[in-house]
Amino acid sequence: MPTVLLLDVSLSMCQPVFEDIGIIAKSKPLEENGDVILRKNLSVMGCNQILDHFSQYCKLEFTALIIFSSLYEVVVRFTRDFDSVKGALSTLEDYDKTNIQVGLLGVTQHILEEWGNGTPCQIVLISDGNLGTQQGSLSKSLASLQHGHGPSELPLPFPFPAKLNIVCIASPDDEALKVSQPIYQKMLEIGGEGSLYIPERNFTVKSVSSMFEKLIAENFMPYNGTIHCGNLSASIMLSPPPQQYHRHHDFETVRESVKEEIHICGFLNVADVSSPPAFSRHLVLSMVNKGLLISESLKFLLVLYYFFELYLYLGVFIFVVTCITKSFSDDLATFAKDSCSDDEGVIDEARIPSLCVLLHGGLKKGNMVALCQVGNNWFGIFYSWADSKKKSNLMLSIFEPGYDVIPWLGKLSNLGPVEALSVNPYGQSNTTSPFPLKVPDKKSYAQNCVVWVRHGGLQSDVQKILRHARKLPDKHASFYKELNRVRKAALMYGFPELLNGLANLLERECYNLPSSTHPEAAIQLQHASEALRLWDKKDPRHNIAHYKSSYE
Amino acid sequence: MVQQLKNTKNKDLNSLNHDILKMAFPTAHKTVFLLDHTLSSQSGVKFDLESLNKPKNSNHSQSQPPVAHIPLLPVYKSVWTCGVEALTEYCRIVWDIFPSSRLIRFIAVDKTVHRLNGWSADDQNLSSLMNMFITLGPAKTGYRADLEKGMKAAVEALTEPTAIQHEKRSSLTDSATKVLNKGRVIIFTRLETDLEIQNIKDKFHEILILNNKVAASTDTLMPINHCDLVLVNFYKENQSHLFENKFWPDFSTFLSCELFNLRCGVTLAPKLCNLVLRHYELASTTVTGIPMKEEQNASSSANYDVELFHPAAAHTAILKGIPSETAHLRTIREGTDYETITLKWCTPRSNASTELQHCSSAYRITSVDVNSRPSSCLTNFLLNGRWVMLEMPRKSGNKVISHMLACHGGDIYIHTMYTSRSVLEDPPSISEGVGGRVTDYRIPDFIDLVKMNLLAPHPPVTLEEGEDGSIPLDSSFSLLKRHTKVWPITLASTCLFSLGTVVLPLRYLMVKETLTEDEIVECKNVIFALMGMETRAETLPVSNTASRGGKGGGKREEQYKALWVELEQYLKSHLHSPGHEKVLECLVQCQSKGDSAKEIKDEKVDLDQALMEIDSISEIGPTKEKVPPPVKTVIKTPDSNSSIPSSKKRKGSIPALAPFGKKSATSLFSIWESKINSDQAQKCPEFQGRLLAENNVTKLYANFQEKEKDDTSRKK
Repeated sequence: MPTVLLLDVSLSMCQPVFEDIGIIAKSKPLEENGDVILRKNLSVMGCNQILDHFSQYCKLEFTALIIFSSLYEVVVRFTRDFDSVKGALSTLEDYDKTNIQVGLLGVTQHILEEWGNGTPCQIVLISDGNLGTQQGSLSKSLASLQHGHGPSELPLPFPFPAKLNIVCIASPDDEALKVSQPIYQKMLEIGGEGSLYIPERNFTVKSVSSMFEKLIAENFMPYNGTIHCGNLSASIMLSPPPQQYHRHHDFETVRESVKEEIHICGFLNVADVSSPPAFSRHLVLSMVNKGLLISESLKFLLVLYYFFELYLYLGVFIFVVTCITKSFSDDLATFAKDSCSDDEGVIDEARIPSLCVLLHGGLKKGNMVALCQVGNNWFGIFYSWADSKKKSNLMLSIFEPGYDVIPWLGKLSNLGPVEALSVNPYGQSNTTSPFPLKVPDKKSYAQNCVVWVRHGGLQSDVQKILRHARKLPDKHASFYKELNRVRKAALMYGFPELLNGLANLLERECYNLPSSTHPEAAIQLQHASEALRLWDKKDPRHNIAHYKSSYE
Repeated sequence: MVQQLKNTKNKDLNSLNHDILKMAFPTAHKTVFLLDHTLSSQSGVKFDLESLNKPKNSNHSQSQPPVAHIPLLPVYKSVWTCGVEALTEYCRIVWDIFPSSRLIRFIAVDKTVHRLNGWSADDQNLSSLMNMFITLGPAKTGYRADLEKGMKAAVEALTEPTAIQHEKRSSLTDSATKVLNKGRVIIFTRLETDLEIQNIKDKFHEILILNNKVAASTDTLMPINHCDLVLVNFYKENQSHLFENKFWPDFSTFLSCELFNLRCGVTLAPKLCNLVLRHYELASTTVTGIPMKEEQNASSSANYDVELFHPAAAHTAILKGIPSETAHLRTIREGTDYETITLKWCTPRSNASTELQHCSSAYRITSVDVNSRPSSCLTNFLLNGRWVMLEMPRKSGNKVISHMLACHGGDIYIHTMYTSRSVLEDPPSISEGVGGRVTDYRIPDFIDLVKMNLLAPHPPVTLEEGEDGSIPLDSSFSLLKRHTKVWPITLASTCLFSLGTVVLPLRYLMVKETLTEDEIVECKNVIFALMGMETRAETLPVSNTASRGGKGGGKREEQYKALWVELEQYLKSHLHSPGHEKVLECLVQCQSKGDSAKEIKDEKVDLDQALMEIDSISEIGPTKEKVPPPVKTVIKTPDSNSSIPSSKKRKGSIPALAPFGKKSATSLFSIWESKINSDQAQKCPEFQGRLLAENNVTKLYANFQEKEKDDTSRKK
């Protein structure tokens, strides 16, 4: 997920780092190659540590660099070019005083512009733990935020899913930190997720570095897992790493994490899953399984050992060597390559077969998705996806946790193999489909319900009856259908006056009939209007039926 | 140690509890409508029957003289009628959008209390609502309703648990005891004085306390943790209202009250919508620019707007954020007092539904004016399976597809699309990654595997009653496991599966749970066909990478060696039924000579003995009926069933005798494979033949010839 490095560039970041902050006057500033180490040097070092981690393990992450003092500036917009961020870090200047509010507002603005409000982001705020003159106003606005009244200058909680980590480049004994720590704490509380990082005991280059290591280990570890398709499996990395699910549902609070083992349950047609809503989407990157390589190499050695013993016994050791080189030359080459090339770094990963590529190809060609289980009661789908540049990829969309999350697929736990059913719902040639599952109750827009609360509803319903009445006897089926629909509604709404009115109306229609009309029309109108008047005599749920006359 | 203080855990316990109260137990789960069944007074809403004839008559007047008759009297709706109409509309919207999670009960009160339904899901639809009210009948006249009785019944109804509440309460998890019972009571009545309002609130509060005491002392009822009381005051169309709408959010710790005025007539529906939107956290979207043919003039089309309701969460993706960016989307339609978001209709592509669109959410919708022509046009279009994209104009002037309307199984949904930049942009192509440059994946075979592992809905199995607690999904897992027991993913790693159609029956049939007699024969035929190919020294259609080392003739032999090993492994891993074992038995019998040779670890091929054996076999004859294993001399080839002339056989059949290549050039590979196989064999049940062996020699097919004879005689 996108990461913002929010760096304090106020003047206080130019303080030299003292070996022992307790007795400042007596202690010597730390030096490196004759230069005094400043706090800002350590913050840049930390940022570089994070960036190095990204360029090694999370090449697809986006990072932005925003600096703030009393103003903020987006130095590097979100990019995957980590070197450009590093370059920018090396040329930073010093500005005036710290204003965290301004910094956070800048972050919020930039993230909303770039990613909108649906993308989870990480914010690393690096400061010297000194709030300076801002202290008072910050605690005030925090207090008003916490009690939920009054607008606040602080954009907390963020209008997007975010994790705010605050890193203090300060000695744990720093006096200023003692004041600011509770304020930071409150910010984190309101912000939701995230932690406060302070160097351990003493304040040295090493302790700051290990603090950043801790930050990386807790927040920026890539997801490495295994995808299983029955007995086939492959190591994968998901980018961006899947987040923990923590939301309130009706009657329960759901907390789920994606497991390291993702199991494919079976397959579905793309058209059948019908663009299901996803909690998150991830690129599935196939990885070389280092563990497997090692175990295979070990196996190979064992085999070698076995043959060695065997043939030593037979006394044809030299023959064996030729044998190995002859018939096993290929295997040897591969194995040797696999086991040795790691050191050389020339391994051609693209030539090692991977289940992911097979899965991608199969799903793409077959126009299918693979339903998979990613956690307890948590499911997703693998599918082939091509971006605008036609670069095709294997993707994983993770649903919301639960069995009942895609209504048109039904309960996911009820999805079983076709072969266990007596009738194949897909038909012989895969032309039919059991999906989407039909809903038992038709919705109002699909069942021609009666709504008279809105203007014109009653009018148009009665007009429809009249229209059919004038086409009697031909339209008698529609006539009675509409008549009964209105009659039932009138009874439901406790509106019998309408029935009498309607009876009068039909009587008049009967009276107005031109002489050329079939006598049947008059008979039906007469019958209908009489039946309408008897609304309270008969069972009201009983429909008015077409009158069988001798003129038919 | 680096100090880090997890704030989520330090979070004030009270505020966390408050969170749970607010989020996890929605008030809207239970609603009780308490209806005053004595609102018989006329509402002033007139329906003029005479007006229906006017347009028609004006046409008639041209041809016919107008007929003079007594004018029809207009009919007037009673307040009760307006109330039931409003209630039906309220329920229609709720049930369309929340088919099972939001329940509504109805209680009517006149002299007595009429409890019209329960919390059961069967009662939560328009047709049962209709039957309830038909049975109830029109409003009673002449007396005032006993509201107190009604309120008691309403509160009692709230203390009864719904099915889901009961399930959660009786579940064995930690949270079971913490199920909070919240609900809402909506009273439809007519109020005259402030005192009356005060009395109702006080009385209701009293009843709530009393009933909570009763409920707390029983196991079957749940005390009410919070109740929202909504007093809806109906007044006549021509009247001005006596009260302002009022809120008492904290009437007591467990009761909030609201007074809401509804004027009968044209303003009733939009005002009512306001109430529904608030109670169920819904929002309104207006789809604008829907092209529709004119009713009168089919050749021209005009653009229409249709308003939809859906959960408000469908808008968060576009509204949360910078407010000024979306201000232009928000409008208030004429006559309403709630906001609607206007999105533009996009003429849909026909294939949209067969592609995967990236959606972050999907919510059910309902149209606001459900029977209007534009609304029903849109919903019918969607019900017929077409998908409609909705476009959001950006402030900057460009547009973006923000939502999609689609019907799934009879329900129409609004899908929220991703509108912002994606973190997945510009990904590396899969061909650049691990395995990306391997070109011989068994993709067509994988598609077959996919087709055999398609999922379909099974009849629901509840977790309790399911046999040994298994659910259909578990059998999907095990099916896929069975199908992939031996599944090389590239052609280079398999000899067996690169043979294509020859081994097709093995691929399809061996993975089945059981085999029929015919299927066993089919599988055996594959083995014979392969032997035939080897006998005829056919080169295997194996890709070059598949063969390991060797050159010329040796290469082919190596291939066959690998093939037999692979086949045996494949068959051994698929011993699902006695039928499967028979197939393996067949293979083992075919190979038995080679096996026994191996056991004595003889490095040389006893060529003479082999030739003698072949001779003895050939003597028995080339016709299928008489052929005795172990070596089938008549072999079904994929292209022809004709037997191979015996003269040819002598030349070619030598390798067939020793499929495991008992030649001087015994490879390390085959020895290793045989070692592995024998290890594996130990793990498998011992082969029947070996168990019966005397001095390591078993008479194979002891009764084969008798059977053959029987069979042939039967055939004849």
